[in-house]
Amino acid sequence: MNMIETQNLCKAYGDFTAVSDLNLHIQKGRVYGFLGPNGAGKSTTMKMFLGLTNPTSGSFQIDGKHYPADRVAILKEVGSFIEAPAFYGNLSGEENLEIIRRILGLPKSSVREALELVGLTQFRKRAAKKYSLGMKQRLGLAGALIGRPPILILDEPTNGLDPVGIHEIRTLIRSLPKQYDCTVLVSSHLLSEVELMADDIGILNHGRLLFEGTANDLKIRARDEGYPTDNLEEIFLAMIDEDNRKRGAGQ
Amino acid sequence: MILQIEAKKCKRTGFLPAVLLAACAASAFPILNMLVRAETFTAMAGTPFDILTDANWQMMAMLNMVLVICGACLMYHTEFADNGIQKMDVLPVRAGSLFFGKFVLLVLALCGMLLLETAVLTGCAAHWFPAYTWTFSETLQSAGFQLILTLPTVMLMLWVASACKNMWVSLGIGVILVFVMTILPQDSTVLQLFPFNTPYKTLATVQGAGDVPLFLGICGAETVAFGLFEFVFLQIRRWYA
Repeated sequence: MNMIETQNLCKAYGDFTAVSDLNLHIQKGRVYGFLGPNGAGKSTTMKMFLGLTNPTSGSFQIDGKHYPADRVAILKEVGSFIEAPAFYGNLSGEENLEIIRRILGLPKSSVREALELVGLTQFRKRAAKKYSLGMKQRLGLAGALIGRPPILILDEPTNGLDPVGIHEIRTLIRSLPKQYDCTVLVSSHLLSEVELMADDIGILNHGRLLFEGTANDLKIRARDEGYPTDNLEEIFLAMIDEDNRKRGAGQ
Repeated sequence: MILQIEAKKCKRTGFLPAVLLAACAASAFPILNMLVRAETFTAMAGTPFDILTDANWQMMAMLNMVLVICGACLMYHTEFADNGIQKMDVLPVRAGSLFFGKFVLLVLALCGMLLLETAVLTGCAAHWFPAYTWTFSETLQSAGFQLILTLPTVMLMLWVASACKNMWVSLGIGVILVFVMTILPQDSTVLQLFPFNTPYKTLATVQGAGDVPLFLGICGAETVAFGLFEFVFLQIRRWYA
């Protein structure tokens, strides 16, 4: 069963097409790695899923709910972290999560749980503006994970974290489907990172989906199309280069 | 719930001290005026409350508007500074409910200020005009009238603050609007009905001209119109985000 599904989803800003005819299929209970170079359209796609920007054309469903008719119902099921941590600097970490808890109608214990999950319990009373970059990132993740939502949309969640923090967050994301039976859509421009976290991979370039499937499917396709198959990083780079070359020739 | 959340967001922003400071400054003005020029005002003919309102309200209304401008800018600066507004946008709350929560909070702060100011005016009238017998309804009517006349200014200023990510831009727009409205000709009824201009009108002067229903009706309509405008603005912003 697909938890997130898109049909010819497009987003254009004037002459520039950020996302073009995107058909994604994200299965329930799996981690989907959304991969692409900077400016490929990953964040724009995620923003459309969250109603932060409206699609120019096409449609999508999340857990069978249609946007824009079921926008509020969709947001009740989705925990998200987009681009950079979003919080109120004048409030403490705990107060920030308390606001989210009230809006979502969660029990009081959910704030403590979320803080524990990201390792911020010790700093819960400190004003968020005084947090380090890594702590802000963790607070953003706590805001996404609070209440254990069935769907998580995480845009480059390990940005700004140190290697230990990256490992912790990666392990956490990897464990979420089993622990909480949730579906995770996680974006990155680093294939090595996605490879360690994701069950399925979607590769996006200039707003177009070049590949969708498992890491094994990607290797098979690379072999069939004559790309280097030594490691996924090389396959990814070769695929992007080939697409850029075709686009250049087309233009 | 939204009101509680909006009140919580104002913690450590300076919103409450700003309200208290503006309320104290506006309320102190008629007292200082009477301490310095009591003979001038007690010699005037008319109702004591109206004499004092006419003499002091321009400055008091301006302080009220300064609070509205600063309050709206502080509230939205808190949203934009660390991108908290984006987090709110991805939570299951109806578009515009945060805006209306802020509107209600600012109106409540303004209510407190206006009640204190009219109570001080009544107190001054009772103290310096011994023959004056004050009524509770007169104080309430005056405060209520000033509140309704200030609502379009609150709504418009909140819209400006919500549209500008940079607080200094919205603060600048607010200050410019206050001063532009003070230099506009005051003999035109149409210009007098503009936001940032209506708060200067007092109940006594509007009653004298027989324009109370006109002012109340137009201010009510302006408030609703600016509220709808914000709703449309939020939809448009989503298309271009």
